[in-house]
Amino acid sequence: MDGKSLRKSSFKLTDTLILFIALIVLVVIFSAIRVEFFSYDNISTMLKNMVITGILALGLTPLMIARGLDISFGASISFTGVLMAYLYNLGFGLPYCLILGVVAAVLVGFINGLLIEKFDLIPIILTLGMMSILSALGLVISEGHSLSMLTDQLYYFATKTFLKIPIALFILIVFIIIFWFILTFTKVGRTIYIIGANPKVATLSGIKVQKVRILLYTFMGLVAGVASIVMVAMTGVGNPLAGAKMSLPVLSAVVLGGISLAGGAGSVWGTIIGVLIVSVIFNGLSVINVPSYFIQVFQGLALILIVSLYEVRNQRAARR
Amino acid sequence: MSDNDLNVNKKSGWQRINIFKFNSITPSLIIVFIIMCAIFGGINHQFLSFVNFKTIISGLSIYGMMAAGLSFVVLTGNFDVSIGSIVGICSIVMAMMFNIKGVNIPIPVIILIGIVLGAFVGALNGFLVTVVGINSVITTLGTLAILRGISLLLANKPALINNKFYVSMGRGFIAKAVPYSFVYLVVIFIVAYLLLRFTKFGRNVYQVGSNANAARLAGIPVKRTQFFAFVVAGISCGISAFLMTSQAAFAQGEFGTGFEFTILTIVVLGGISLAGGRGTLIGVAVGLLIINSISNGLTMIDIPVFWREAFNGIILIAAILIDSIRVKRRELLKA
Repeated sequence: MDGKSLRKSSFKLTDTLILFIALIVLVVIFSAIRVEFFSYDNISTMLKNMVITGILALGLTPLMIARGLDISFGASISFTGVLMAYLYNLGFGLPYCLILGVVAAVLVGFINGLLIEKFDLIPIILTLGMMSILSALGLVISEGHSLSMLTDQLYYFATKTFLKIPIALFILIVFIIIFWFILTFTKVGRTIYIIGANPKVATLSGIKVQKVRILLYTFMGLVAGVASIVMVAMTGVGNPLAGAKMSLPVLSAVVLGGISLAGGAGSVWGTIIGVLIVSVIFNGLSVINVPSYFIQVFQGLALILIVSLYEVRNQRAARR
Repeated sequence: MSDNDLNVNKKSGWQRINIFKFNSITPSLIIVFIIMCAIFGGINHQFLSFVNFKTIISGLSIYGMMAAGLSFVVLTGNFDVSIGSIVGICSIVMAMMFNIKGVNIPIPVIILIGIVLGAFVGALNGFLVTVVGINSVITTLGTLAILRGISLLLANKPALINNKFYVSMGRGFIAKAVPYSFVYLVVIFIVAYLLLRFTKFGRNVYQVGSNANAARLAGIPVKRTQFFAFVVAGISCGISAFLMTSQAAFAQGEFGTGFEFTILTIVVLGGISLAGGRGTLIGVAVGLLIINSISNGLTMIDIPVFWREAFNGIILIAAILIDSIRVKRRELLKA
């Protein structure tokens, strides 16, 4: 057991390195096909679009390490965005709207966690149900169309740059630092890895597995709430369909970053590189004018390919 | 055997508060169905009319066939969320074959190609899950996106079907009362039921789902069984695609979007346990009737469309909660 885990950790370093090299190769290829890819405008657009994917992937990282899974985040973003815009149009002040929206998202995460842990449900199925409820509620509130929410503060936040870096990107950086710190240096972080490696052993050694996981689901809700604010700020509307296509790229990014569905493995840096690669691929494909349906095909292919590669390697390692 | 299990701990608290006394969930589902009909009928008398009954019956088939197919996959302990997309791609391909210039492909060949395509996609899912070893939800989430993307690429505009006979195969009625589609559904349910109940494959499906390890030790080909469960689901999607194109007389890239969700609700509500290995097609049939009547009933009493979708999600969550409570109770009684 010890030898295996040691081997795994030395693997992780090379994995991250390989992914990093893949990232650079991709950037070079896309720049070679189209020079515009490497322009400041495109890069900053790409990074700005990356913020939402990145925050969500970060939220999923500890959750999936602890063998949880949430796919309702896309619908949660839509719902929260619509709710905020609706409240804003009712005449609530901006801070209240944002706080209420985030509270709603946190509540959704908490309910997810509570139901999954207390009733021992399969996370993906429960969150699938939650996804349908939330996206339907978003459509109910907005009656099917986008609600505008244009405010000076949000506009400033979405468009201004600091030292030529989009301000929205700082949110992502703050999140990266927080998650990295928690997972690497705190007791909670270690607990999460232990739960993922073996939930039974974790329970026997006195870790409150259910409590930690419920906390992580709640945190995922918070993350979705923040992502929703970024989404509303960037688009200026609460769109009931905004998050519908979020799940696939985020899941691909997380899985690409080395998080296994069996839990226990993964790191913040892996996730970040995964997000970068996914963003580069999809931005690159649209820069070289690939039709959007094809991008959808590619998303699915990428997900399956990535998981197959990891799976095949794991099987080979297990056979040794 | 299970009935005996249930009688072991007669005095336990679980047993007394439990409303589902039978091991099978079907009787309770039938009661739910009757209460539901009474409520909808009370609000809008049209709900219980013969015309509406006919509407409900004709609406059952497409979902029903897919639910029967998905049941196999869920019984083996896997999921398939790509079924909606399989229907989409089969529909498009079948409709496109009617529109090839200068070539007149006979209808049976077209239907056969559609079904074979469904089986092929199911086999692809099965290959990825059993041979490569990826989690089934992730696999089918990927194929969902791939197939939907391909369908949309193939059909940039709806493909029309100008074939009266083909269209009548889906829209016709026997004696102006029983739709053909309902006959297909009944036939498919009977075939699926016999397959599960009386063949070696069917027994293997249950064995693999209830305990894959024990099944392997007993010499049951676990992976092959799971693989063919996916193929069965694919075939059922192919047949649904035939029915759908024939009823609509055209096909477009969005056909089947979001079906997986409704079908999953039907299957779980029908008592097929998500843990695998438990449940019967009779339960699924009642689940199908309930889900269809609910969506029909909610329309009849003028509930807005978006609320209806939310309702579906609530039913799914309620169904998996009930499933989880039943699984827990079984474990409690075993211990």
